[in-house]
Amino acid sequence: MPKITIDEQEIEFAAGIPVLQAALDAGLDIPHYCYHPGLTVVASCRLCLMEMKMPHPKSGELGWAPKLFPSCQTPARDGMVVRFNSETVVTGRERCMEYFLLNHPLDCPVCDQAGECSLQDYSYKFGKPESRMVDPKLVMPKKDIGPQTLLYSDRCVMCTRCVRFTKEVSGTSELCITNRGTNSEIDVFPGKPLDNPIQGNVVDLCPVGALLDKDFLFKQRVWFLQSAPSICPGCSAGCAIRVDANDDIVYRLKPRFNPGVNDWWMCDEGRFGWKYALSDERITTPRLRRGSSTKTPKWEDVSEILQYRFSQHVDEHGSGGMVVVLSPMMSCEEAWLLLSFMLKVGPNVTAVIGPILSVGEDQAFPAGSTGDETKFIIRSEKAPNRRGLEMIIDQAGCETLSFDEFVESVGDGEVSAAWIVGGYPEKTWVPKALEKAVGKLELLVAQDLFETKLTAAAAVTLPACAFTERAGCFVNHAGLIQPFESAVAPPNGCHRDGQYLYELAGYQGLYTPDRVRELMAATMSQFADVREAAPAPVHLH
Amino acid sequence: MADYEPVLLKNISLEGSTDLKVYESAGGYAAARKALKMTPDEVTEIVKEANLRGRGGAGFPAGVKWGFLPKDREVTYLCVNADESEPPTFSNRVLMEKDPHQLIEGTIIAAFATQAQKAFIYMRVEFHEPFHVMQNAIDQAYAAGYLGKNIFGSGFELDVFIHRGAGAYVCGEETGLIESLEGKRGCPRIKPPFPAVEGLFHKPTVVNNVETLCNVPHIIERGAAWFKSIGAEGSEGPKLFCASGPVNRPGCFEGPMTITCRELIEGDGYGRGMRSGKEVKAVLPGGISMGVLTADELNMVMDFDDPRNFGLLGLGTAAAVIIDQQQDIRKVLANITRFYSHESCGQCTQCREGTSWMDKIATRIADGVGRTEDLDLIVDVTKNMGMMPGLSICGLSDGAAFPIRTIVQKFRGEFEAYIAEQPPTSTLRVLSTFN
Ligand SMILES: Cc1cc2nc3c(=O)[nH]c(=O)nc-3n(C[C@H](O)[C@H](O)[C@H](O)COP(=O)(O)O)c2cc1C
Ligand code: SF4
Ligand code: SF4
Ligand code: FES
Repeated sequence: MPKITIDEQEIEFAAGIPVLQAALDAGLDIPHYCYHPGLTVVASCRLCLMEMKMPHPKSGELGWAPKLFPSCQTPARDGMVVRFNSETVVTGRERCMEYFLLNHPLDCPVCDQAGECSLQDYSYKFGKPESRMVDPKLVMPKKDIGPQTLLYSDRCVMCTRCVRFTKEVSGTSELCITNRGTNSEIDVFPGKPLDNPIQGNVVDLCPVGALLDKDFLFKQRVWFLQSAPSICPGCSAGCAIRVDANDDIVYRLKPRFNPGVNDWWMCDEGRFGWKYALSDERITTPRLRRGSSTKTPKWEDVSEILQYRFSQHVDEHGSGGMVVVLSPMMSCEEAWLLLSFMLKVGPNVTAVIGPILSVGEDQAFPAGSTGDETKFIIRSEKAPNRRGLEMIIDQAGCETLSFDEFVESVGDGEVSAAWIVGGYPEKTWVPKALEKAVGKLELLVAQDLFETKLTAAAAVTLPACAFTERAGCFVNHAGLIQPFESAVAPPNGCHRDGQYLYELAGYQGLYTPDRVRELMAATMSQFADVREAAPAPVHLH
Repeated sequence: MADYEPVLLKNISLEGSTDLKVYESAGGYAAARKALKMTPDEVTEIVKEANLRGRGGAGFPAGVKWGFLPKDREVTYLCVNADESEPPTFSNRVLMEKDPHQLIEGTIIAAFATQAQKAFIYMRVEFHEPFHVMQNAIDQAYAAGYLGKNIFGSGFELDVFIHRGAGAYVCGEETGLIESLEGKRGCPRIKPPFPAVEGLFHKPTVVNNVETLCNVPHIIERGAAWFKSIGAEGSEGPKLFCASGPVNRPGCFEGPMTITCRELIEGDGYGRGMRSGKEVKAVLPGGISMGVLTADELNMVMDFDDPRNFGLLGLGTAAAVIIDQQQDIRKVLANITRFYSHESCGQCTQCREGTSWMDKIATRIADGVGRTEDLDLIVDVTKNMGMMPGLSICGLSDGAAFPIRTIVQKFRGEFEAYIAEQPPTSTLRVLSTFN
């Protein structure tokens, strides 16, 4: 690997990257605003300054060139010698930091970004506490630029990341710069708000509190938030995300760097589409039904009841008419545990993959791009784990039916017992034909987030948890197995699916995805080593 | 300089100087015919040999610039920089308004040398008259077969278009010009890639100033040795100078780059001295961006090198603004800071914020609310901007730093005297109303 010397330290770097990236990769905190590895380099903020050794134009002797260079625009070359710690560099960026605050309103106490703002962080670390400007500040407007987003231009540092994002990634170009010089402002064109399916990323990209998410506005101080790494269940892309919560309440989702999958981005559907988890219509307790009377069993009895119901059913009818409908919203671990249980009680059980909503075609950004030009794709398949279920069912080798065939079989009276898992964001997922035929089942267990005609008819109803409350792994459209952690506790009274399925499958103690994957790995080696996506450099903001 | 024989301005007093026939009867288009019989490389060599340094401000040798074009290129564009946006500068205007065919001929030869088949004249929008004159001349040249296909039977073809700017100083900077020509905001590009490698529409591009190109026909016609016999080493060839302010004859003049600033003001062929009762206080000799000279520094030679000895950035556009003793230096400064603050494109932090900050300070000083420490502060701000220290994408901020810094440094005593005369409470009172 090629090597570069940064601040007297020899560092290996991946060929083809700028010096700034090499420094960030090596863990150095180099302040920068306009640079972002997912966008073109404009080298305009002039904060990432460095000095560089160059051959003297006359003597040819290697020495420090008498000027500063933007490290984001300078390609790292083997044998190069640069420094960020000289007095010239330190003063240069101290001055630059002074400029960013010249006209800034210093309204951190009411700014959502406070606590995760690189203007705050850099000012503490690289700036000076006082401004030398005694003249009045320029006052810039606050603007409503789209259905989800606000722009407080008085906080803007004009890094143009947001403009480049809409030009280069979303390909929608809603954002532009208006006016010139210090009066420059980010703006939208009249009548053309910032409104595209991945616009929320501009808020993440904004290094300061200029671009704000209306959804999160004034909801939380970020230092109260705890983050859990997760995978967005909105489609089969498997975007790595972070679930930010405080006191078991989720406040926002943010994308995590995931090279080759979602890179730095996520879509708005995923970002804002998780609110169903907060609904108070959620099922939170198990429920038993005999005829028209229902009762709520104790959680510790649930396992035994289910065992008993299914064994009794098999004794009476055999397991030939038994079906388990696994939901593509389930994690691999949950699906595997449930299938293991079903196979144990009824070796002839048929496995079915629940319905998968498909919306249009895969949506590439920028629109119409192909191959390397494509920066982001929203998948048409609106479920995170079809591939995972397929792997598990394949390995189990059991009979399978498609969901449509299953619905038909229920109608034809060929299915005697079924465990049907939902867990979809919409309550409307149950097809009419199934609603009508469900009475023909001798035994029905329905596991879901919300009440449906199935839960109403089920002998046993079990609550399902939202992905923010569960842990496990999903297999994305390309076969990549990615783990996710739970960010919050399930609603009061509710147990996690993984926990009760774990007990049901005959294991004792606390469910952890790792423990289950170890068990799964005995027959499916892919699950032996499921790891987090590569982390982004810590100092990349 | 009585014995100086005008070259660039030799036709301007001819009756109907803008007409093709008049231009041809004065020997016009002979150089283009001659050049198109040579090879492009031969033409480039002659221009290199003549050491024709760019007249747009940076003084880069035109032939060398042409030589940077990649050998294997397929498309080349030539941009004629007619933005002439530097304050007090109007020599390109005279050339285009009075002798448009000289520029067309220079453009044909430069396009041939660089193998460009499209040339764009990027002209500032305020040039109404030059636009019409140039467009008429281009139409005439097309009609005569001097533009279009198979020029002079050589097989070479060239189309020339005029593109009118929208009023931004920074669009005179070559990559700002290219962006603007592509229909975008005139924000200068980062380099590399340099325009010669990737310029207009991502194709190899040469940008040359109007006056630079007007020199080309004469070099081809009369040879590099003749060209180098004018002026002095490093600053060869004829040059246009402008003088504005209280001189007896303000205007655009031609001469060799051996004249001093004093000659430009006083010489018979130039400004012919100060108007009665006026005395020189300061001169901004190279447009405003190069910096200021005091009345004691008028022996500066108007060439590419001497300005540095006086703390200036360079020769610039060789257009001098003469400021007389009655002028308030604070207003001169505020006028200059206002210009750069208004014209910074706003990409680079130091230029965007620095120019506006300096304008706030200078305006406050001019309003009689200055502080002595403001003088150090403003100098400090000028040192923290520009391409030379590596803090900007284009040279606009160097051009802002030099005049502001040199004015404050060279006239510091005057500023201090004004500040000392301010009523003692004014500073405090006005500053406190800001907060
Ligand atoms: C802010 C700025 C403004 C400029 N304006 C002009 C201009 O109006 N006309 C011009 O010819 N060159 C201008 N230049 C210089 C051009 O960038 C470029 O160097 C020149 O057009 C090259 O032509 P030349 O080599 O023939 O001089 C400007 C440069 C800067 C930094
Ligand atoms: S709004 Fe944010 S991302 Fe956009 S230019 Fe301003 S600081 Fe940068
Ligand atoms: S130096 Fe000033 S004018 Fe030039 S690119 Fe930077 S901000 Fe724009
Ligand atoms: S100039 Fe390098 S990060 Fe902005």
